[in-house]
Amino acid sequence: MSTATRSLAFAARSLLRQPGRAGVGILGIAAVGALLFDMLLLSRGLVVSFRELLDSVGFDVRILSSDSLPMGGARLANASQIARDLAALPEVAEAIPIRVIDAEAVPAVGFALMAIDGDFRAGRAGRAGRDGGYEGSEGLVINQRLADALKVKAGDTIRVRVSCVSGRAPLPPSPFPVAGVGEFPFDDGAQLTASTSWARLRSACGGEGDDADMLLVASREGHGADAAVRAIRRARPDLHPATNEEIVARMQQGSFSYFRQISAVLSTITLLFGFLLITVLLTVSVNQRLAEIAAVRALGFSRGRVAADVLWQSALLVGSGGLLAVPLGFALSLWLDRILKAMPGVPTSIHFFVFEPRALALHATLLVVTALAAAMYPIRLVAALPIAETLRNEVV
Amino acid sequence: MIDGRALTKTFPMVAGPVHALRGVSLTIAAGEYLAVRGPSGCGKSTLLHILGCVDTPTSGTLEFEGRAIEALPDAERSRLRLLAIGFVFQRFFLLPMLTAAENIEVPQAEAGVGRVERRRRTAELLDYVGLAHRADHRPAQLSGGEAQRVAIARALANRPRLLLADEPTGELDRATGEQIAALIDRVNADGTAVVVVTHDAAIAERARRTLLMRDGTLEL
Repeated sequence: MSTATRSLAFAARSLLRQPGRAGVGILGIAAVGALLFDMLLLSRGLVVSFRELLDSVGFDVRILSSDSLPMGGARLANASQIARDLAALPEVAEAIPIRVIDAEAVPAVGFALMAIDGDFRAGRAGRAGRDGGYEGSEGLVINQRLADALKVKAGDTIRVRVSCVSGRAPLPPSPFPVAGVGEFPFDDGAQLTASTSWARLRSACGGEGDDADMLLVASREGHGADAAVRAIRRARPDLHPATNEEIVARMQQGSFSYFRQISAVLSTITLLFGFLLITVLLTVSVNQRLAEIAAVRALGFSRGRVAADVLWQSALLVGSGGLLAVPLGFALSLWLDRILKAMPGVPTSIHFFVFEPRALALHATLLVVTALAAAMYPIRLVAALPIAETLRNEVV
Repeated sequence: MIDGRALTKTFPMVAGPVHALRGVSLTIAAGEYLAVRGPSGCGKSTLLHILGCVDTPTSGTLEFEGRAIEALPDAERSRLRLLAIGFVFQRFFLLPMLTAAENIEVPQAEAGVGRVERRRRTAELLDYVGLAHRADHRPAQLSGGEAQRVAIARALANRPRLLLADEPTGELDRATGEQIAALIDRVNADGTAVVVVTHDAAIAERARRTLLMRDGTLEL
């Protein structure tokens, strides 16, 4: 048996002398570790999830009117022409305008109406639902909640009043056939959404409405998003293209940074609790065994040997607790994710807690550092223990 | 084996320094059996701790088999205690989570003795102290006399040249104390030098040489 194995076995036996105390320590670290794990999942969860959501739609570049976030700036005029210009670039496979306006189904059910290319509606933005088959349709694809609210199904016709220009009175209602029921990836849990073709919206707006909130661009295979962005900037310096990665980076600097900061603060506090818990447990354990430690030192155990015993005890407590923390943290993250996703305005496809292998590696690293740090004070106690004085005090 | 010259030990205390040893000089030959007697607080245990290299004198010199102890770093002093010196304490200090056999194996494992040899030596020692049948018992399951016999076996595990016993019968009744004293006699008879610190005149009389301590000095 090697020195390290012997030391580990000795530490395990020392811990098991007080199974209640060891159990409390392990459970404490499991709870602390679960919270830490969740904070690590939260720190990048939104970023990863949002990136996946952007990528899932099938476009890797967004064209905006400024360096703001999508749907956050002024509209792009002459969007159809811009789309044609961009689609002509060799680095671009597809470019389509998208616009979201307020609409109201008669009688009085408000919803968001998204005008977008028909092929896109069928294949990506509005994932085909059970009443699919609306490719190229002039009608509406509506989400299930809107279908339920209006009590309509594919093939029915609803009358819709649209507000094409902000500040101007809504136009008179016009009939829209329901082409199908689908899912919209950016919908939140309560949102009522419908989509129609770009041409149909312009027609409903009386020929106006060639302004887009943004354009979605798919780079051509073999070129990539960065090349497409460079080509767009060369061709149309007035536009503000951004790759999905850049959009995510902007989100990280903006609203997502709150989650990262909260996660950092709570992770630090959690680690501090873990550190204090283990330090207190080990210090109490060491203080109860001072005479015994002095005795084994007198028998020939070196300072390093008794220090290693304390370090192994810390490692065993934190290691066992850390292992329990992972499944506990997973379960807790599912619960917390459900709570946070119930917030209004959060797309149902977004997750706040997303597992990444790097989170697990960071979790393990932080726990190892905590175990080492927590063992420092009790190690100092045993290493500096005056053998003779301790033995003398014990007898007196 | 041991040569201590003009050993002093002073403990700084709030009320003023306490002089536990005041210029003690003594030599201990290999295989010797020495008892140190004296009233409480006279410095017996301090002397024993210095002889056992767990404490250092404030002044004076101590040599163990020709090596100056003050010059040795802590790790080497630990190694010396592990291989050359055995300790027996008044309160046994057996490790409660280990069995009697495991307690005897601990110093051997620390010294790097292989498992087979450890097992053989442990069985031999348990037999030597008459506790072969208690090998798998934990300290809490042993009587005081049995625990002290296990402690003596543990002290002998690495075949030390010197056995130091600090009030080895202090926690035991007279009859059990006699058994322990007889065991220590046997250890010495088998060639190990023994230094016993004790209040008990009957135990001290068993040694071939007895030193009396008073106020930190030896009275010959």
